[in-house]
Amino acid sequence: MGTLATSNHIIQGEYRVSNDPDVALTTLLGSCVAACIWDPVLHVGGMNHFLLPGDNEQQIRDSERFGVHLMELLVNALFRQGASRQRLVAKLFGGANLNTQLADIGARNGEFAQRFLRNEDIRVIGESLGGDRARKLQFWPASGRARQMLLPKDVAPTEPRKTSPIDLAGSGAVELF
Amino acid sequence: MSFLQQLKVLIVDDTSTSRMLIRDGLEQLGIRNIIHAADGEQALKMMMSTPAHLIISDFNMPKLDGLQLLQAIRSYKPTAATPFIILTGKADATVLARGRALGLNNYLMKPVDMDALKRAIEGVVGKLR
Repeated sequence: MGTLATSNHIIQGEYRVSNDPDVALTTLLGSCVAACIWDPVLHVGGMNHFLLPGDNEQQIRDSERFGVHLMELLVNALFRQGASRQRLVAKLFGGANLNTQLADIGARNGEFAQRFLRNEDIRVIGESLGGDRARKLQFWPASGRARQMLLPKDVAPTEPRKTSPIDLAGSGAVELF
Repeated sequence: MSFLQQLKVLIVDDTSTSRMLIRDGLEQLGIRNIIHAADGEQALKMMMSTPAHLIISDFNMPKLDGLQLLQAIRSYKPTAATPFIILTGKADATVLARGRALGLNNYLMKPVDMDALKRAIEGVVGKLR
């Protein structure tokens, strides 16, 4: 299930918000997507990190429900900090296709995030989606500044992930704090 | 008209994507008469003009939250008995106790499992088919 991250490093299935100008949220993205959303007037923002797996229509639908939930958790946490829906803006990162032999889950993740933000009238003012390389991402939630580093080809992030009911690739997953 | 065709459901959620997801789920169950509200205030106005038979509401919303909406629905005589199901991100014991005291019929955890949604609806309005 979507979980509030306990550190500034966000792993799959987590989200975190902050208004501290000295805080940078970080994450590592392969085919996962991170949505960075903030209120530029109130200087509060946050990041989530999700993967929507699934090979068939039912699995995809289930995982999209989880994605919507994780987006909602982030946006609701921003509202609780006083952010205004009308002012929210977003940047999207990730959604790479690291293994061209497999279905392009990354592209689907990116399209899902774009669709969600369009539905919710949240403007996307920057994005780096797709490609075939993993990304290391830093996001300063108070200012909206983001910086990414593309990792060399064939380097796939191997990170712990939160198990979720639709975590289809969850075998052997470890949770680290 | 069959019961399912008549059953009118009000979905209340401030996230339009969530409203669409719930709507899809209800349509899969054969429910056709579905109305939406984006917040508690709008939901109250709709219930006063075109009351629904069942309310499925998010908990975390601006203006009125799910429980405040429930309280208003329960205290307005024409809608006081309308079945009310809340969708919530976490099952907070205090919130649920308050909900029960206010006459909440059921709650579901987000992300909502469609089978659980069906069972919850059947629990308050009877077998759907």
